[in-house]
Amino acid sequence: MRTSPSLLSLTIDSALLNLSNIADLSPLPDHIVLDLFLLPARTRYFLSSRHSTFESQLPLSFLPDVLRNSEIVLISETCTSLDYRVAISCFSEALYFGIELLFVFGKMSLAIRDDEIDIIIGAIRSDLTSFMNEWRPMFSRFHLIIVKDPDLKEELKIPEGFNLDVYEKSDIDRVVGSSTSVLFSGYACRYFGYLVSRKKYIISVDDDCLPARDPKGFVVDAVAQHITNLTTPATPFFFNTLYDPFTEGADFVRGYPFSLRSGVKCALSCGLWLNMADHDAPTQALKARQRNSRYVDAVMTVPAGSLVPISGINIAFDREVVGPALVPALKLAGEGKFRWETMEDIWSGLCVKVVCDHLGLGVKTGLPYVWRTDRGDPIASLKKEWEGVKLMEEVVPFFQSVRLPREATTVEDCVVEVAKAAKERLGSTDPVFARAAKAMLDWVNLWKSVGSISSSPAV
Amino acid sequence: MVEPATATQAAAPAVAQLKDELDIVIPTIRNLDFLEMWRPFFQPYHLIIVQDGDPSKTIKVPDGFDYELYNRNDINRILGPKASCISFKDSACRCFGYMVSKKKYIFTIDDDCFVAKDPSGKAINALEQHIKNLLSPSTPFFFNTLYDPYREGADFVRGYPFSLREGVPTAVSHGLWLNIPDYDAPTQLVKPLERNTRFVDAVLTIPKGTLFPMCGMNLAFDRELIGPAMYFGLMGDGQPIGRYDDMWAGWCMKVICDHLGLGVKTGLPYIYHSKASNPFVNLRKEYKGIYWQEEIIPFFQQAVLPKECTSVQKCYIELAKQVKEKLSKVDPYFDKLAEAMVTWIEAWDELNPTAAAVPDGKAK
Repeated sequence: MRTSPSLLSLTIDSALLNLSNIADLSPLPDHIVLDLFLLPARTRYFLSSRHSTFESQLPLSFLPDVLRNSEIVLISETCTSLDYRVAISCFSEALYFGIELLFVFGKMSLAIRDDEIDIIIGAIRSDLTSFMNEWRPMFSRFHLIIVKDPDLKEELKIPEGFNLDVYEKSDIDRVVGSSTSVLFSGYACRYFGYLVSRKKYIISVDDDCLPARDPKGFVVDAVAQHITNLTTPATPFFFNTLYDPFTEGADFVRGYPFSLRSGVKCALSCGLWLNMADHDAPTQALKARQRNSRYVDAVMTVPAGSLVPISGINIAFDREVVGPALVPALKLAGEGKFRWETMEDIWSGLCVKVVCDHLGLGVKTGLPYVWRTDRGDPIASLKKEWEGVKLMEEVVPFFQSVRLPREATTVEDCVVEVAKAAKERLGSTDPVFARAAKAMLDWVNLWKSVGSISSSPAV
Repeated sequence: MVEPATATQAAAPAVAQLKDELDIVIPTIRNLDFLEMWRPFFQPYHLIIVQDGDPSKTIKVPDGFDYELYNRNDINRILGPKASCISFKDSACRCFGYMVSKKKYIFTIDDDCFVAKDPSGKAINALEQHIKNLLSPSTPFFFNTLYDPYREGADFVRGYPFSLREGVPTAVSHGLWLNIPDYDAPTQLVKPLERNTRFVDAVLTIPKGTLFPMCGMNLAFDRELIGPAMYFGLMGDGQPIGRYDDMWAGWCMKVICDHLGLGVKTGLPYIYHSKASNPFVNLRKEYKGIYWQEEIIPFFQQAVLPKECTSVQKCYIELAKQVKEKLSKVDPYFDKLAEAMVTWIEAWDELNPTAAAVPDGKAK
């Protein structure tokens, strides 16, 4: 509140009258800018682009009443942020009626602390030395959980200098009991890490993946990119042709409804792979020399209602929001130690997507890339195991037809419903599905008892 | 900073694909100088120029192009009373070009769009890429995380059912823009300096059931598969709204494509969009649209076409009916628009009598 005018206040009053002539407000200190606009009963609005980018993630209800009724609309990095939609609607109306409007946009950054992140690695191979050393610049800040495949006999070799916890078969048996520990063999061992983690964000890459380089030659920080994906909104209800509108240099295009521009929470981030892309064995066998060299510089939201094969090779997720939905369920009869011989991640990903669609959460795909090393022989895998490829013909139509009831409002409830539906509709087709359905129920129970951070009810 | 390719960099392809099966439709009110830039890529093709605005003005077409030009007088003459469905003083008039074309494919481009460069500096033949997109299938039923699986160097990922790998025919190829992005007026006003410099090397199918904002600046489609759905609405002079022509066509088109099992791709090719239109003028045109789209989008998202609608025309007439039923309460404009949609189909069928013989699509 001001009493008698000071030199400063008189200057501000005068500046306000001429503000439309000032193109650039950035030299002004923040507290002056605030002073300019929190003064009540101002009747002029001014257009300015103080910053070239902005992020607004708080809903309209955050706008204090006094500001709502005043004639100034303020969006500032030091103040409460307004819904972009509201800002634009105020702007449009004001302009329509011949009033100029002021916006001061700031970036609202969601600062994620390092201790909110767990990096979880399923060790399918025993010697993780080069893997860990290559990822050291990106991993060393964070806590790691390494889960050793219970079938692996050799001792794990892990280099020094990391803050980590290692879990082996004996730990798994101890925590979940030897009857349910079967859930966590092979690639699914990492799910044990998901279970016991106490962090909000989890990032997981296969142990045969290394950091990739972008077309300019810079090493891609996959961890940072995944976190960016998870902490910016997803936009599943309408497709943005410029892909992720929250990334630097992009935005929503003309024709994108304003009411959908605040987006929804992103629950899962699926990255991609250079070199060995995640093809199935028949495809890789057919195109033996094909390597993925195309770096697609985009992140996008997979639209609601659209299912997608989510590869487990390079993913990240918000454990608090969607943890129980990543299910170690589909175990092929001949499941092996190469990705070509598994489908557990695909089943898990379809489950997550169905649950996210039901609860209004987002799933993003695209960046970051990792470099997946050549390993294994697709023809050998194909001869041994192509059950997975056949099963997808049943699995995909099943998930496409799943309808979750309105009463399922938590992730656990949703997973139970999917399990029930799987048992009913697929159980008799192949015993692998009946086992998957049971595994999902076991997983939910484990989550409730062991995964002590229960997921919050859906928004 | 992103820059357009210069004329000397643009090299004509060895073979101009589909040169007798594709028309390039260009709406214009000023001049067609931009065609010089595109000459190596466009010259083999027939152009349909739709002149908007004052018909007494002469539009100069650079030498060496094979074209037909229609101004407002021509449109009135050819369509008679049905000419009321074609917008005046708005680039929406371009859809007249779609109607009079006799070719299978259409490529449409704005007169402020130039040849872009890819990250290696090579000039992008946008037309060639659109043709590639249209001639390869789409995959709307399951999302491929490696984007277009039919592109060289890509394929379907693990988990993609083999039964879905044949794809469906591609009806529309939606290209993007470097430099001036296609933002609406409020965004333009807030970010006047933002330029799109990100080259995203991907083509992807927009999944079934998902709507998107279709921009008419850099667009190609299979006229035989989806032509009648590409009506660009009533915009411009005498209308309460502008800059929603392509949006409207895109929403109608996508609903119909989803119903008939056709695919829509977006992504490459990029063109270089050089001119930023006046955002204040744009705001005045778009203002109503910004509010109306909040009603329009749910309408399209919930629109269901009956199984009996097995052709594009039948689908479109049904949509027009639903627009009249459900959107006229938003504004009487939608009544007019619904009628214009029907007029458009009547005009289309009149000018394309063999269109009735187009094999009916399989309705879902």
